[in-house]
Amino acid sequence: MSQRSLEEFGGSTPLVRIVDDDASFLTAVARMLRASGFAVKTFSSAAEFLALPERDVPGCVLVDLQMPGLSGLDLQEALAKEGHTLPVIFLTGHGDIPTTVHAMRQGAEDFLTKRAPKENLLDAVKRAIDRDTRERAGRARLDALRARFAALTPREREVLQHVVQGKLNKQIAYALGINERTVKLHRTSLTTKLGVYSTAELTKLWMEAGEGRG
Amino acid sequence: MNWVTIIWSMVASACLVLAGIHFLVWCQRRRGWDDLLLSLASAAVAALAGCELWMMRAETTAQFATALRWLHVPTWVIILSLVGFVRLHLRAGRPWLAWTVCALRTLSVLLNFVVGQNLNYLEVARLQHIRFLGESVAIAKGTANPWMLVGQLSLVLWLVFVADAAITVWRRGDRRQSLALGGSIVLFVLVGAGQAVLVLWQIVDWPITASIFFLGIVVAMTYQMTGDVLRAAQMSEDLRKKDHWLDLAADSAGVGLWLWDLKTNVISGTETARMLYGFSANELVPVEKVRARLHPDDFDWVSRALEKCSREGADFRYDYRIVLPDGSIRWFRVLARTLLLSTGEPEMVAGVSIDITDRKRAEQEIAQQRDQLAHVTRVSAMGQLASSLAHELNQPLGAILRNAEAAELFLQDPSPDLDELRAIFADIRKDDQRAGEVIDRMRALMKYREGAERSRLDLHLLALDTVTLVRPDAERRRVRLEVETGPAVPPVHGDQVQLQQVLLNLLLNAMDALDDNPSARRFVTVRARPAGAMVEVTVRDTGHGIPVDKLPHLFEPFFSSKPNGLGMGLAISRDIIRAHGGRMWAENNPDGGATLHFTVPASSEGGRGERVEGRGRKEQ
Repeated sequence: MSQRSLEEFGGSTPLVRIVDDDASFLTAVARMLRASGFAVKTFSSAAEFLALPERDVPGCVLVDLQMPGLSGLDLQEALAKEGHTLPVIFLTGHGDIPTTVHAMRQGAEDFLTKRAPKENLLDAVKRAIDRDTRERAGRARLDALRARFAALTPREREVLQHVVQGKLNKQIAYALGINERTVKLHRTSLTTKLGVYSTAELTKLWMEAGEGRG
Repeated sequence: MNWVTIIWSMVASACLVLAGIHFLVWCQRRRGWDDLLLSLASAAVAALAGCELWMMRAETTAQFATALRWLHVPTWVIILSLVGFVRLHLRAGRPWLAWTVCALRTLSVLLNFVVGQNLNYLEVARLQHIRFLGESVAIAKGTANPWMLVGQLSLVLWLVFVADAAITVWRRGDRRQSLALGGSIVLFVLVGAGQAVLVLWQIVDWPITASIFFLGIVVAMTYQMTGDVLRAAQMSEDLRKKDHWLDLAADSAGVGLWLWDLKTNVISGTETARMLYGFSANELVPVEKVRARLHPDDFDWVSRALEKCSREGADFRYDYRIVLPDGSIRWFRVLARTLLLSTGEPEMVAGVSIDITDRKRAEQEIAQQRDQLAHVTRVSAMGQLASSLAHELNQPLGAILRNAEAAELFLQDPSPDLDELRAIFADIRKDDQRAGEVIDRMRALMKYREGAERSRLDLHLLALDTVTLVRPDAERRRVRLEVETGPAVPPVHGDQVQLQQVLLNLLLNAMDALDDNPSARRFVTVRARPAGAMVEVTVRDTGHGIPVDKLPHLFEPFFSSKPNGLGMGLAISRDIIRAHGGRMWAENNPDGGATLHFTVPASSEGGRGERVEGRGRKEQ
């Protein structure tokens, strides 16, 4: 598998979710974003959104801060609890400072008034989508890596531990009490499984996957 | 023993003493003429006694006749002065009777010197000596003078006059005086004069002893007068005590008492009064000196009011400022009243001055604080309102914006989706409608107590009440605030709180318009008058007026000519008046300033039993 195939993992069309109890505004903003070339899905309440999150689709969520029932902040909190990293952009009739600060501390992507200039809104949406895409790509790559490491046998894993420490086959064989040849075989097998061709590359992947910590 | 000489001398001297005493009293009191008249009467009784003694001791007929002739002079004096005394002291008796008695008596004195040897005898023929009180006294025999009847008629009329006066006094309820004066005069005159008449018609042989009886009258009258004097002395003693208390009370309350003598134009006052106005203890204070201490802003109107008080006797009851020699300004509350002479002419002005500077200062501070509080409340209410307004409006406005942006994007397409565009425009229209509804709702909210209970109101009273509410504010801003009184206005049917709010609004606006005026030209006049089937209320100011180009927009919401105005006052006021079925409009006065008018229909229900409210809510 190549480096490129890792980047493309999870690369479906980004989707902008809009959550607002004001149907008129919901329609209008969805219309504008669609016309600007985004894929859009609308929800009339936070609960509706949380029930049908489409976690796998990248993008962002535009949410009205003040809504009856679950508010925008509640939605943000619920997402964070699930470990979901979908960027949240808040929209409000008019923002007051304490709410804004709170929302930004919770990791809001942006905070806009409902009548913010179109450019600001589009920029914020683009930025959020970029971030999400980037984060998803990184996450996907990591997942793939981990899957590959997971495919190793226990013995191969043991050998790998020594390899990344820069030990020679002879030393590894001695340490594990096995034949040096057997060590060579294991090394070939694990490099094939991980798709790497040098010890340096192997060490880099190992670090990336965070195997040393686990 | 020479009894006649002793008794008649004693009578004469007693009368002279009384005459002297009454004369002295009169000189000191100089109050009316009754003391002088009594003094004259007493002196005349002494002279009468002298003449009687002269007659009794007459050696010749000529002597007797001369003595009798002169006897009529003191008699004339006695009668006239007693008539005067009864009129003046008792304030009773018929004037025509009094004048008739005087005229007849004067006529008889004239006849006395013209006809015959005297009024009683055409001629004294001979003297006859009889024993009287153990002494030989002369009595006369001769031709009786028929003109004597004139004198006797005057005596009878005099009796009638006195009796009539006594009855009047009795009926008035003053029985003691009626008996003492009327009774004694009637009794003694009846006996004394009766005896004289019998002697002079030579029916009985007896000397004339009228002076004894007249002494009785004089003594009775003296007794009466002395009682008056004693009572006056007691009263003055009481008064002195009360005066003392009054001074003490006035001093302890910091009240200055003063008297302004209108004849000399000099003001005298208590220690406290002098201290209040900054005059030293012995300084002579002409009224001009006090006037010079008036605050320049108050000078004109206070001078006018004082003038009115001293000339027409109008009560003076005002607060004004005084500038003391050290330059400090004090507020005084002054109540003054004119004391009139019995002729109805103003004699002096008595006044009370209280230093109310501290109270005024506190009032002003409270007013300032209240204003600040009102402002803060208004600002925070406005802030909340603005915040909620912004939020409510941003929803539809945001939708409109996004729709418009979407439409622009669609239009970049060479063949735009017309259905979508139509949908967008329909939505824009719908959201605009929604924004309008938000504004309507806000205004409805600000028009609080919509459809609140209505009652019958007197707009004139309501105006008075409202003016009372803003009076401290007006005073602080040096605005003369007046409610004109005209013909009575019919009641209207309305919401007291709302109409009061309208009036308050107009008054505050009017006073705001005066801020740039010099303080002498800050007037706001409120007036309620019937206008056909309506009651019209006008609030007129002497301020800068309303620019002509702004007149048509005056009542539009959010229109304000004031830097920090919300621009809702007049809009809401007009809504309130319209809800009452009336009209509100504004115009500039030809002589500067503006007048705001509103009308409210007069109440058609003629129920008399219904209560007319006008002064429900009061501060404090």
